[in-house]
Amino acid sequence: MKILAIETSCDDTCAAVLDDTKIISNIISSQTDLYKEWGGVVPNIAKQAHLERIDLVINKALKSAKSTIEEIDVIAVTQGPGLAVALGVGIAKAKELAKKYSAKGGGKKLVAVNHIEGHIMSSFFDHEIKFPALCLTASGGHTKIILINKIGDYKIVGETLDDASGEALDKAAKMMGLGYPGGPIIERLAKNGNEKILELPKVLRDNKILDFSFSGIKTSFYYKIKDLPKTEIAKNIKDYAACFQNSVFEQLTRKFKLAIEKYQPKTLLASGGVMCNLELRKRLRYLAKEMNLPINMPYKKELNTDNAAMIGLVAYYKALRGEFVTDIDSLDREARLGL
Amino acid sequence: MPSDTVYILAVDATNKEAVEKLLKFKNRWIGKAISVAVSDFEMASEYAEIGKNEQEIYSSMLPGPFTLVSKGKHKVAKGIEAEDGSLGIRIPDNKMILEVVKKLGKPISATSANLAGRRPHYSVESFFKNLSKAKREMIDLVVDVGKLPRNKPSTVIDIRESEMKILRRGELIAKNAKSFISKSERETQKIAELIFKKLETPIILGLSGDLGTGKTVFSKEIGRLMGVKEKINSPTFNIYNDYGDFLHMDLYRINNQNEIDEIKFFEIISEKKIVCIEWIENLGKNNLERLKNEINLPHRQADFKLISFNYIDEFSREIKL
Repeated sequence: MKILAIETSCDDTCAAVLDDTKIISNIISSQTDLYKEWGGVVPNIAKQAHLERIDLVINKALKSAKSTIEEIDVIAVTQGPGLAVALGVGIAKAKELAKKYSAKGGGKKLVAVNHIEGHIMSSFFDHEIKFPALCLTASGGHTKIILINKIGDYKIVGETLDDASGEALDKAAKMMGLGYPGGPIIERLAKNGNEKILELPKVLRDNKILDFSFSGIKTSFYYKIKDLPKTEIAKNIKDYAACFQNSVFEQLTRKFKLAIEKYQPKTLLASGGVMCNLELRKRLRYLAKEMNLPINMPYKKELNTDNAAMIGLVAYYKALRGEFVTDIDSLDREARLGL
Repeated sequence: MPSDTVYILAVDATNKEAVEKLLKFKNRWIGKAISVAVSDFEMASEYAEIGKNEQEIYSSMLPGPFTLVSKGKHKVAKGIEAEDGSLGIRIPDNKMILEVVKKLGKPISATSANLAGRRPHYSVESFFKNLSKAKREMIDLVVDVGKLPRNKPSTVIDIRESEMKILRRGELIAKNAKSFISKSERETQKIAELIFKKLETPIILGLSGDLGTGKTVFSKEIGRLMGVKEKINSPTFNIYNDYGDFLHMDLYRINNQNEIDEIKFFEIISEKKIVCIEWIENLGKNNLERLKNEINLPHRQADFKLISFNYIDEFSREIKL
């Protein structure tokens, strides 16, 4: 089965070609350079850039896969959750392609994919997964712990009550006058920082709660550095970055551990943009070792951040189950699509 | 009787005999005032000297966890007003009490169900446990609805002078009719509830203020009161989250006025009952003007309210209408 997958849920325009579960090409037109001056993802630019690049990215994905659109069996697209205007661009394109080539008798089926399921499955590539598995997924838009009984059977057992972990890191970077995206900059600075210099609150101490909260840490951090002179912040910036990052990661690993103890999975999974962070990966591997469980994380950055390959993989299993879009015209974006 | 705060002892506040019995029960001396519950501003103005200025205070703070102290008109039984002739008035946020007062057509006492100097009670059971048989027999009727949530007693505020004076700190602190002080997430939720109950929908709430001043906590509580069952989390990433009648928006990442058009701002807010917009300052002057004007068009009579959140110190925030 040849799959063309399209993903435009936020700031990246992505397309990928898969042959069953094998990634043939995975193109991400990372637009983060466009956003540096804004300090965040800006919808206007996002939509413009998606519109400008979508054809380019799809063609590039097909070309690097040495494939043509005619050879594609299934078109997969992210339906949500995400930024409404951005989702719309990918969906319109997928519908256009599916209709255009189906009319010619090419028989292209359309599969609508949940972005979160994509993130879950991004850690499935090249791995045997024993179920039940427990997945920690953390990015700029969400932070969740998901129990997976089998492919397609998910239960959210913990999620953020306010900010996403990646959003908190981005906001903290902005407070310190650093660029966008903030996560990688904080990671770099934190490497040599002293994480004990600021005392940030340890939140949601109740061990029965598997949810996350990052707004309290953010607020506490903000008011600790807010009135400091710029030179003072600059002098201690590595330490501040280390403190904030540590506080976010401490909570991620603490809650994940509690969920593991409660649900007793056979495999651990971790994915999402925040999983690019080497320090977090290290802590999670350490946790897996302590729990005596295997842990799978996407093996490269391009599978952690938003990408179309993960959308294609979800679509493969949905296609096997016959879950196609029956009325192509009625497919619409779902900005708040749940799992 | 249960109230929106604690269990209260209710008697007809104009009935001399009843009030004497109440004072005897509480071991309270005449001269220490007993607050009353009225049904509305109109009834309040019958029993206390309150005018136009006070009407504004009433409409923003009551019904709610406040007791407002004004100059009494001496129409209640002796022992209800304080020695200086002042009268403490509540409009409890409790249907049963309001219904009783309305039917009676007169104020009732709204003093907490305890003996003088003792703590208030949240269940009839705990109240009765501490009563002697003689005292118990003085009570003619008990309305037992089980355990009440642990809300603090009302905050007592003297509104006789132009500057409000807090006489007893209870559930919430108000600086004036339009400004509340929150000392915790819980209190920000309580303030949201107080404001929510007085809203006439459709309405658009513009929330302005720095990071970490409680805008999201406030919005989440409004959503919860609107009946949203799902977890409401920060919409920063998606710009807005749509929950049917309730829309939660965050303009934190908006830097350019064109982007407001790009996300179809005016379209998406138009069919909602309540819209909370965090970082309303990022809407820009022109769009804000447009928002205020467009919502006054006859086919879209949504109201607009600006609520500002200010940092006072590490543990307190001011929430201002």
